[in-house]
Amino acid sequence: MAKKILIVEDDKFLRELIFEKLDSEGYEISKAADGEEGVKKAGEEKPDLILLDLILPGMDGFEVLSKIRENKELAQMPIIILSNLGQKEDIERGLTLGATDFMVKAHFTPNEIVDKIKKVLG
Amino acid sequence: MVFHFFKEENVYELEEARKESELKKIKRKREQELEELRKTKKELEEAKVVLEIKVRARTRELREQALGLEAQIQKRTKDLEESREFLMKTLKETKKARELAEEERSKTLSIINNLTDGLLVLDKKGKISLVNPKAEEFFGIKSKDLIAKNINTITVLTKFKFLSEIFKKGFVSREEFKISEDLILEITAAPITSKKKTVAVLIILHNVTREKKIEEMKTEFVSLAAHQLRTPLSAIKWTLRLLLSGDLGKISKEQRDFVTKTYDSNERMISLVNDLLNVTVIEEGRYIFSHTAVNIEKVIKSLLEDYKKQIKDRKIKIIFIKEEKIPKVLADEEKICLAVENLLDNAVRYTKIGGEITISLNDLKDKKEIEFSIKDSGVGIPESQQKRIFSKFFRASNVIRMETEGTGLGLFITKNIINAHKGRIWFESQQGKGTTFHFTLPY
Repeated sequence: MAKKILIVEDDKFLRELIFEKLDSEGYEISKAADGEEGVKKAGEEKPDLILLDLILPGMDGFEVLSKIRENKELAQMPIIILSNLGQKEDIERGLTLGATDFMVKAHFTPNEIVDKIKKVLG
Repeated sequence: MVFHFFKEENVYELEEARKESELKKIKRKREQELEELRKTKKELEEAKVVLEIKVRARTRELREQALGLEAQIQKRTKDLEESREFLMKTLKETKKARELAEEERSKTLSIINNLTDGLLVLDKKGKISLVNPKAEEFFGIKSKDLIAKNINTITVLTKFKFLSEIFKKGFVSREEFKISEDLILEITAAPITSKKKTVAVLIILHNVTREKKIEEMKTEFVSLAAHQLRTPLSAIKWTLRLLLSGDLGKISKEQRDFVTKTYDSNERMISLVNDLLNVTVIEEGRYIFSHTAVNIEKVIKSLLEDYKKQIKDRKIKIIFIKEEKIPKVLADEEKICLAVENLLDNAVRYTKIGGEITISLNDLKDKKEIEFSIKDSGVGIPESQQKRIFSKFFRASNVIRMETEGTGLGLFITKNIINAHKGRIWFESQQGKGTTFHFTLPY
């Protein structure tokens, strides 16, 4: 069965680009355009992995991360932060809150993102 | 009775003779006495002469002495007058000096009272001996309630906690202390010395609350701007990459060439945004984060691996000379990597095709430093511009003409990284022959 990935990304175009790439790789994709929706879908759909942006309207990515980690059922779910923040503080904060990995969008190509996802999903 | 008479007559004669002899005796005696008197008189007269001579001499002497005395008195009087004059002058000067001192004191006092920075003075026993109005304002407490109080008694209040640390150190240079939620002070403390002994500690309190707020806003702004800039850049990057990798359908060779060039331009834009972010963080002074044991040799080798393609394309020969054992340095690995990368990137970029780059790594044991150097056979830096090489946005004129890419931020960032690690950075360059950059890092 295809693994399910939840994309939490507010920028529509970026969301579509990742969707296209991951879809072509054969993943089942779910999309969320803000933090609230992300937390909700994470709980309801229990995806195999979440790609999480940090700067989101309303509830930001850090909050989403802690909310998801609070839920015992989702505590072990792999979450890769895919953001344009990339300061050391942001990275440390993300990892401390329980992110599996941290990728700065502008520093990786779609293929590299796919490689990372494959690695995390084993 | 005749007999008797006779007898009487005889007695008389005898009596006469005796008297006469007696008289003679007396006369002789008188004469003798007279003689003696005469003699005495003569002696006296002689003595009188001697005395008179002596008296005259003494008189002369006295007169002379009197004259001398008078001269002396006159001289003494003059001296006294001079002394008096001098004293008067001194007195006047003292008065003037006192006035000046008072003026100076009131000047100092008005400086202290009107200073926009707070001032505190702690004596050597830790008692507060001066509080200026600005300091009163900072802590919301009157000077009279603080003066002569020992710091131990006031540091129980949260807002005075910083004092114990400062008193312990005795010397603080521009350190920030958060006094309360809306008061951040930048504190400098310096010992006040007298005869080479510390007698008190002067504490200068500079309010940086506003600057801190602005700094925070700036950080927020930069982080937001970077995010905003990076989002479209990421979209462009991903789209072009998808085009190039054929995910979005086949493209012709000509199209591929154009898309590749566009992709490279976009990469430059991304690195410019990264450089700007680095510069902003450097300027905020919170650039170096963690210190871990860094193996520089490993850093260099992994960078050379990253640059393999470029080095091969430009047919550049890399020579790596290093000592057997290079000690690890305590550093921020990511930043050191960036510093080395910037230097390597410049060397590769500015060395002509078929040129040579020599990287060496040395252990300066006596200085407890490692020295990294990278020598290229590139265009070199014009001598007139060498002074500005580490400044922000600087690019040498010969390099600008070469139409190479570059933001003019690389060396600025590198220098700041090395300095933040207490290392040194320098270079030698000859236009047309090449440049050697060196840096050291303490271990």
